[in-house]
Amino acid sequence: MQPDETLLRLEAVQKRFGGLVVLNNVDIAVGPNELIGLIGPNGAGKSTLFNVITAIYAPTQGRVLFRGKDITGIAPHRISRLGIARTFQLVRTFLTMTAFENVMVGAVYGAGGRVKHATEAANAALELVGLTARRDMRTAHMTLSDRRMLEIARAVASDPALLLLDEPMAGLNPTEIQRMVDVIRRVRAERGLSMLWVEHKVDAIMKVCSRVIVLDHGEKIADGTPREVTQNRKVIEAYLGEPAA
Amino acid sequence: MSNAFKWIAIVAVAALALLPFVPGAVDAYYFSFLFFVFLYAIMAQSWNLVAGYGGQISLGSHAFFGLGAYTTAILWTGNYLWGSLYDTHPGIYYFDPVTMALGGVVAALAAAIIGLPLLSKLRGDYFALGTLGFGEIVKVLFVNGGDFTGSAFGIVAPAGMFDTLRPHYWVALGLMVATALAIGALMRSRYGLAMIAVRDDEMAASANGIDVLKVKVAAFAGSAFIAGVAGSLYTFYIFHVGPDSVFDLDWMLLPLMMTVVGGTGTLLGPILGALVMYAVFDLARIVVPDYHPVISGLTIILAMLFLPKGLMRSFAGKARLA
Repeated sequence: MQPDETLLRLEAVQKRFGGLVVLNNVDIAVGPNELIGLIGPNGAGKSTLFNVITAIYAPTQGRVLFRGKDITGIAPHRISRLGIARTFQLVRTFLTMTAFENVMVGAVYGAGGRVKHATEAANAALELVGLTARRDMRTAHMTLSDRRMLEIARAVASDPALLLLDEPMAGLNPTEIQRMVDVIRRVRAERGLSMLWVEHKVDAIMKVCSRVIVLDHGEKIADGTPREVTQNRKVIEAYLGEPAA
Repeated sequence: MSNAFKWIAIVAVAALALLPFVPGAVDAYYFSFLFFVFLYAIMAQSWNLVAGYGGQISLGSHAFFGLGAYTTAILWTGNYLWGSLYDTHPGIYYFDPVTMALGGVVAALAAAIIGLPLLSKLRGDYFALGTLGFGEIVKVLFVNGGDFTGSAFGIVAPAGMFDTLRPHYWVALGLMVATALAIGALMRSRYGLAMIAVRDDEMAASANGIDVLKVKVAAFAGSAFIAGVAGSLYTFYIFHVGPDSVFDLDWMLLPLMMTVVGGTGTLLGPILGALVMYAVFDLARIVVPDYHPVISGLTIILAMLFLPKGLMRSFAGKARLA
């Protein structure tokens, strides 16, 4: 991969909370239109990694580069405007707004910074995740699965180059999970953006992603195709423990 | 807002605007009653902007009201604006739009200066306490301001200007309507969208490109501007601007109660709340003068028990802007 093609690059990122090292020396590169799964046991540092990328936390050491530009520790709203959108593990929609208004926030204030064509962008994003029929429904009255879809629509409407998905399937039933997989595939196919996807449902990641990164105790222990990763001894140990013999 | 409702509002405003031409109206009790309803409605809109729409509970409205009142009195008595014109036109400061706007500007500047550190560091209850503390600081500064602020006594503006309450009534009505229209337009714009986003979820707002601190400070300063203009208007009514009158906590507490009773985060709630609550306060003052705070307090408790969402949301349905 050419260095200038890399969209997001994490260089030796370390994050410490007091004496606790949550991320240690993590290097990650995300290329254009890549769909990368990020997995790891509980407490592996996946959400912290997202929070470092989106500048909710500043890393203790290391740098975050986006399109070759150092974005370590700049304000979160500027990260969004540069083209990194995200969803949250505990869904964060604007509850007193309608679905359409939620998505408008992304369209108006995100990377697109659209004022003129914001309405079209918002409607297209709702269409993409299949929420057109709920356009004028108050978010407070929507189901969890619809709110998760709405978060993705809001992120897509902000016209990002990179989308970070933080456990979009948490709390969804099998039917809704299938719907989410379809939406993630459609977003990638139609928008051509890169995605970094944290998920506990490893089987979904293995089915959909072209590349998988595994974190354990704050360190990157594997990075490769789903096939490579599932055969990696360190990964098996992290999930199942060391062999008895 | 429905079309029928729009027409009712237009007719109501027109009727109120024509009221001073009705013989005897100006001298009637309800005339000054209405003036105060308008004044409190403007203050309630000011609080509703920062707290209801912006989600930042401010307890400093009285400080901005007082700053507007003092700014007007100081500009006027010191003749800082119009120079020699003041000699030829002694009424030039009376309801002068520039003087009134400056009252708002001074309050808004103070809000921006105090809002930056407060809003970047404090959230929720702590921000509320910070603004309350700010109000006390401002009051003490004016008490100790020497000749410039008239110290504990305050400043007396040329009360000889007064001959009728008509201009007060019209200006208050006009400002109340203008404030409601401006806030309505704001909330339909992209800036209103950002305010609601910040109120609903700060982290999601900033993750979607909204500069949260900027939105909060702007809402706080905008609210202060409205309160400052209201304070300026009050100067033309009371003429004696003193620390105990214009920095009185009532200028914060009453508009807050009115907004909550009328409907926080609704456009007409503050106006409706001001009308209902001021009627209750005034009626209690006349009918049971010894117990009027009890009646007012009871009304607020009953309203919170049975109409926790406020009058607008309880009777006018769901609409946020209605």
